Amino acid sequence: MDVAYYPGCTLHASSKIYDVQVGIICEALGIHLHELDDWNCCGATSASKTDDFLAVAMPARNLGIADEMGLEQLLIPCSACYSRMLVAQQRLMEDNRLKTEINAELKKKVTGKTRIVSILDLLYPLFKVKPFRKKLHRNLRSMKPLCYYGCMQTRFPIDVPIIDDVENPQGMEKILRAIGARPLDWSYKTDCCGASASINDPDVALKLMGRIMKDAVAREDADCFVTSCPMCQLNLDTYQEKIGEVYGIRKRLPVYFITELVGLALGKTPEELQIDRHFVGAVDRLKELPLL
Amino acid sequence: MKILPLVYSSSEGRSLAEEVVRRSGQNIMSCYQCRRCAAGCPVGDETGITPDRLIRLIILGDRDAALQNRLVWQCVSCYTCGTRCPNGINTARVTETLKKMAVEEHVAPLSPKVKEFHSAFCAAARHMGRVNESEFMGLYEMKNTFHELFRFNLKSIFNELKDQAKMGLEMTRKKRMHFGIERVKDRSELKRFFKMAKDKKSAHKSSPRTRG
Repeated sequence: MDVAYYPGCTLHASSKIYDVQVGIICEALGIHLHELDDWNCCGATSASKTDDFLAVAMPARNLGIADEMGLEQLLIPCSACYSRMLVAQQRLMEDNRLKTEINAELKKKVTGKTRIVSILDLLYPLFKVKPFRKKLHRNLRSMKPLCYYGCMQTRFPIDVPIIDDVENPQGMEKILRAIGARPLDWSYKTDCCGASASINDPDVALKLMGRIMKDAVAREDADCFVTSCPMCQLNLDTYQEKIGEVYGIRKRLPVYFITELVGLALGKTPEELQIDRHFVGAVDRLKELPLL
Repeated sequence: MKILPLVYSSSEGRSLAEEVVRRSGQNIMSCYQCRRCAAGCPVGDETGITPDRLIRLIILGDRDAALQNRLVWQCVSCYTCGTRCPNGINTARVTETLKKMAVEEHVAPLSPKVKEFHSAFCAAARHMGRVNESEFMGLYEMKNTFHELFRFNLKSIFNELKDQAKMGLEMTRKKRMHFGIERVKDRSELKRFFKMAKDKKSAHKSSPRTRG
């Protein structure tokens, strides 16, 4: 299967490990990723908060490159990029005048025929069928993760049709069950971690993450978080020590990318998947469970 | 709590509300103040003012209060409010529209760091076509330091730089930091888009605002 691939800036920087893991699991599953040629920043939340035109125009250049490639699907693992590109595509399809204006500047035109998929959208249909199940080499039966979706996987600034439930999504749980893990139910799976507020408004971000942590540790069996969003991963991982100090929480929960657990299930090692690059002991937890 | 007398001008209210409806694409007139948005707002405790209050201020025509409040800057764009609105108003887009209006009208932001953050991000994206974390964070810290220097807030500068340096060091230790610079080879289209965005903004500013 051939799929177009947009990593985005974060996956080439602080969350390079996510990019590496996506590559590894796609290769193991027989998916050939074709990175968009000369892609640019999607504008993220900053562009959409400050400029309506750039919020559509910046993703549009990438969408044009993808449409020209002629592949059916475009994989965007980063939740922020996924959300911004999906919203831009929807707006371009709804507003013909805007589409004409932007296409006039682009060498590769937006047609809107490429379907944007998140890592969850891509993986779930694969794990439903038998041939892929044969590729699973490690059963994660002893793991009880909390699926953390954050904001951008299900909620958008405009109406965008998605397959999952907005307030209680199940996509990640389904994938984890398919690889043997037993995800727990909890209340903060789509709550906001504060995202960039951890840098520009730290008091607010700490409060938001504190609420998430409190609910997480109240689920006594939980042994980790799983997420598909690089901002959520980095925030909950890097600030967990501080949240613990401020709110008197002793328990620590590693924050795994969904690709790390799928990679493990496919028989990959923590070194290959670079699971040692976490702040909260991610490899140690795997040893405790024991999965290694 | 001090309760201010309610001053209502129908013409002010109408012109402000019409402007917000047009720019945000949200029909704020259908808000019946059920406050489901407020119940779901994660920063409501901090900001004091919640999306429902903001809509009320707009409809009452209180331009100053609507443009200068903590929600406009501290909204984390989680879009929970809009998801839950029974009248289909995407309230966060109203908040974002007011933020844009506040910037255009040079209203002093109550959270200058948030403003500097987004402007540094967009500047980094414009420069290389891709955002390089070291460039963007450097730019942000510079803007922030400059702002605090202006207010002679040396302690805040020291703490900010100390925290960020600590985080940077820790990230380097965990091999999560990357110092390489990535750039888009053909930036002509992006440059054009940034120019178009600027032109659109100045066109918007020069068109006279209908007032009363």
